[in-house]
Amino acid sequence: MSLSLLFRDELNGFYRSKVMMALWVGLPVMAVALYFLVSETEGIPMSQFTALLVGSIGGLLTSAMIVVTILKEKEERVYDLFLVRPVKRRDLLLSKFLAIYLCVIIAALLAIVLSASLDAVINDHEVVDTITGLGDSVLIALSMMAISCSVGLLIGVISNSMLVGILLVLYGGNQLSSLVILPIIMDIGEIWMAVLLSAAITSVMLICSILLFQRKEL
Amino acid sequence: MVADGANIVSVQGLYKRYKDLPVLLNLSFDVPRRSVFGFIGPNGAGKTTTIKIITGLLHDFQGDVMIQGSSVRQRDLASCASIGYLPQRTTMQEWRTVDQALNTFGRLSGMEGDDVKKRTGEVLDVLGISEHRHRKVGKLSGGTLQKVGMAQAMLHRPELMILDEPVAGLDPESRVLFKNLFRQLAKDGATVFFSSHILSDVEDIANNIGILGQGRMGYCGSMDGLRERVHHHKEVRLELVEQLNDIQMLSRIPAVSTVERISGNEFMLRFQNNADIDAAIDKCIRDVLGAGMHIRSIRPTHPSLEELYLSYTKGGMV
Repeated sequence: MSLSLLFRDELNGFYRSKVMMALWVGLPVMAVALYFLVSETEGIPMSQFTALLVGSIGGLLTSAMIVVTILKEKEERVYDLFLVRPVKRRDLLLSKFLAIYLCVIIAALLAIVLSASLDAVINDHEVVDTITGLGDSVLIALSMMAISCSVGLLIGVISNSMLVGILLVLYGGNQLSSLVILPIIMDIGEIWMAVLLSAAITSVMLICSILLFQRKEL
Repeated sequence: MVADGANIVSVQGLYKRYKDLPVLLNLSFDVPRRSVFGFIGPNGAGKTTTIKIITGLLHDFQGDVMIQGSSVRQRDLASCASIGYLPQRTTMQEWRTVDQALNTFGRLSGMEGDDVKKRTGEVLDVLGISEHRHRKVGKLSGGTLQKVGMAQAMLHRPELMILDEPVAGLDPESRVLFKNLFRQLAKDGATVFFSSHILSDVEDIANNIGILGQGRMGYCGSMDGLRERVHHHKEVRLELVEQLNDIQMLSRIPAVSTVERISGNEFMLRFQNNADIDAAIDKCIRDVLGAGMHIRSIRPTHPSLEELYLSYTKGGMV
């Protein structure tokens, strides 16, 4: 009961936050702008470029946001009023993860639909066909973002310093999330392997976060 | 000490240390059901730590705390919902409005949607902050935020209210409001356990007090019990109609230990600890009248909690 309530509550907070608004508008705009600015994108469809970009930059920004949110809430002792009630610490973390992940999925999809539409206009393709052909790229992007979010959660739980937390996310989170594209790049696996790898890494990160959060004296 | 029907909280041999710093050393006390319990002690004595252990926010400690007969180490949903907690500084996520915050906390405490809505209106009215219902928490002043904190603590009608410095930082009007509210809550059957540095407030509303010092409970009981414990001087304030030049006349009254002139015709007579105060006052009246003078007023005075507390702490009892 408390998980669904907390999830709706967190969603309520995140989707109206300035950072999320910036992500929802900024991510599609940034993807399109970078596509035209970066010369190496020649020959790559804009939608595919966008999918990869949101997977890495979107994930990075989101994990940084999670770290900042958790550290701020820990410092301000926001969790006390939840934890004196019949609320499980696990639900507090999971609700935050699910709410942010859902918000960033929406931001990523907005960016991909926008770039697919532009692709269709530029290359005279059907938007639906373009999006359908992007299945693998979207799955990769969502897998990368899931890892980034879970890494952000773990770092938010273990770190006590904003600076250290952000640095760990910048260097650790992004590297870890790019693991999912290794099987594809090395041509040793199918897309489902990447998704499975992402699910495994995300689950391990979430379990570690929950276990540490349960032991931690806030 | 086992929590029985008479005690809602029973703290049993608590030990707590932060790294190398011991904070609580075998702390034990009981909080009687339906009492207003004032928890006082010097800064850093461990009041907030004790409160956090009672509310279940800290779990790395030795000893146990029983609430309604159940250990805080095995908290179930019902025992969580029976506690209302106001932290020293109320903080909530800034994006929430007061209404959203109370709705969330009420529902997490097990209340139904309609009940939360109705009760939110009631508590905001009681606290005089109804006009802030749809304002964001981040835009509220410190005093109003403290009232929102109180609202979330009492929203689900808990049997036990645990309040950490609830009146600190409030204006005089709000302090009176909070004090009346505590009295009303106790009248309605709740137990109010609160810590405070403002001893006059504790004296005003608490019917039981606990003095924490050096990690232990130095004193736990009623104000009268504390007076007896510190053997505070019995004092009588005497006002005469005529000017009295010979102050020694009052000193000669048996059982009077010291006499102090407060103003022209007003005197404070302190009696020996073992004196029978009624007999001493009777003798005082007869002597003064016998000397041809008239009495405008004579009344025994009670030491304030502040005086008792200082006597107690200076006496090395804490």
